Amino acid sequence: MDDRFVPVPKEAEDRLPPESSASGKLLRYLLRRLPVWPLIAFFAKKKVPQHKHSAWYTLGGIAMFFFMVQVITGVLLMIYYNPGSPWQSVQRIVMEIPFGGLIRSIHHWSANLMILTLCLHMFSTFFMKAYRPPREITWLTGLALFGITLTLGFSGYLLPWDDLSFFATRIGISEMDKIPIIGPWMGGILRGGPDVTVETIGRFYPLHVVVLPLALIGILGLHLLLIQVQGVSEPDSFRALPEEKKKYHKFFSEFLFAEIPIWLFMMGILVLLSAMFPRGLMPEADPGSAAPEGIKPEWYFMVPFQMLKIFPGALEFVGMVIMGLLPLAFVAVPFIDRNVPEDARGRLVARAGIAVVLVAVAFTIWGWLS
Amino acid sequence: MDNSASNDKIKDKGRRRFLALSGGLGLLWLGAAAYPVYKFISPQPVPDPFGEEGRAVVKKLTPADCVRPGSGGNGSIGNIGVIVFRTPEGELRAFTSKCTHAGCNVNFTGEKIVCHCHGGQYDLTGKNISGPPPKPLTQLKVFEENGVLYVAPLDKTEKA
Repeated sequence: MDDRFVPVPKEAEDRLPPESSASGKLLRYLLRRLPVWPLIAFFAKKKVPQHKHSAWYTLGGIAMFFFMVQVITGVLLMIYYNPGSPWQSVQRIVMEIPFGGLIRSIHHWSANLMILTLCLHMFSTFFMKAYRPPREITWLTGLALFGITLTLGFSGYLLPWDDLSFFATRIGISEMDKIPIIGPWMGGILRGGPDVTVETIGRFYPLHVVVLPLALIGILGLHLLLIQVQGVSEPDSFRALPEEKKKYHKFFSEFLFAEIPIWLFMMGILVLLSAMFPRGLMPEADPGSAAPEGIKPEWYFMVPFQMLKIFPGALEFVGMVIMGLLPLAFVAVPFIDRNVPEDARGRLVARAGIAVVLVAVAFTIWGWLS
Repeated sequence: MDNSASNDKIKDKGRRRFLALSGGLGLLWLGAAAYPVYKFISPQPVPDPFGEEGRAVVKKLTPADCVRPGSGGNGSIGNIGVIVFRTPEGELRAFTSKCTHAGCNVNFTGEKIVCHCHGGQYDLTGKNISGPPPKPLTQLKVFEENGVLYVAPLDKTEKA
């Protein structure tokens, strides 16, 4: 035999079906060419800690499910979406294409639920202190994924080119203009000129359907790789248990078989929400018309929106500085709170986290009501 | 010993029923998800190029282009290509220009109709006379009204 073939490992031989059977032949054929047995053996051992906070471990998978829904519905919408006559093409999707309104609404609701799931995922890892060394990079890639997802939400908002899209994008980028030195340059690059026009769609469309999804998939790969290499994080209380009291679920297939029904349930929720609250389409964007009454950003942009409202006039920069420092604070978390259980810094970070959650929830509700 | 074996059998039966049920529900679920997607990606109905009036204006050609015997050229109705020309005998004729071989648009040369892609040739009645085309071109009814060329589908009984 040519020495470039890989011998089938002994432990694999023991577990494969007999060589005389068709499946046994096929699997041996593949294993002699693709030396993936160590990977299979690795994933067979993958386990998830079992404790009273275990439910939180499903959130990352749920966010990934929503992302898959976004990719599928997004590709479908691209069949009929036309950046040259955006509003007309979206109107055609909603009015003429069979199930077009449903698929567009699922894309909208899945985006919202993806962001909501990511918020919960982020705060569960935060309060379980899963970001502590050696998992700083997992935390940082997670923050990047959250940022990319928000940018996907923002860029997708413009594409239908209705009144709401137009003013939301104009407000969003004009806030960016106020960033010292680089702001006006960034705003100009994003808009493709001094104001939001169809030219802006020419920029947002490739950003929304190619650049950001590819970046997300790449960083997600690193995020998942780190989780495989370092294992699922265990809370301090679980780690302190004696070995014989620690219980685990095998990832294949106990955990996965519990996760799949959750995904199916989420799919049901998406269809239900889309049927009950289909995404509307306002009149075509008209740069000359007044902004629609009661115009408000999506709930996930309510915090910066309120922050800008409470600091009037010359004090606006205070709100912008706070909103600018917040992501930096999140980045700094794993470097402030290190792997020392029950220390003062850990408690401080947890309290600061609670404060941020309370303010964020309060601002979101306040923005919603006002 | 016997007892536990029969217990295993009962467990096995329940397990099999559960797997069959989840498999069935899974297929049902997949079908429910696939149907809207199938309808969404299916081609959307195309409007009849001849419209309610049963005729269509020829674009990119005017009656003036087809006055002299042996003159004419390529025009279009909607997304369909047509050729309109006057035969050396003075008769105005029109065909859809899609070659019956591989779908290129044919070209009227004055004496015959040729396809540049694979060398197919048709005579002025649209009959395939040389090269790969397997069938004649589809003939259309053509007439002039107020300086505009119109084409309409040929009645079943009419023939060139």
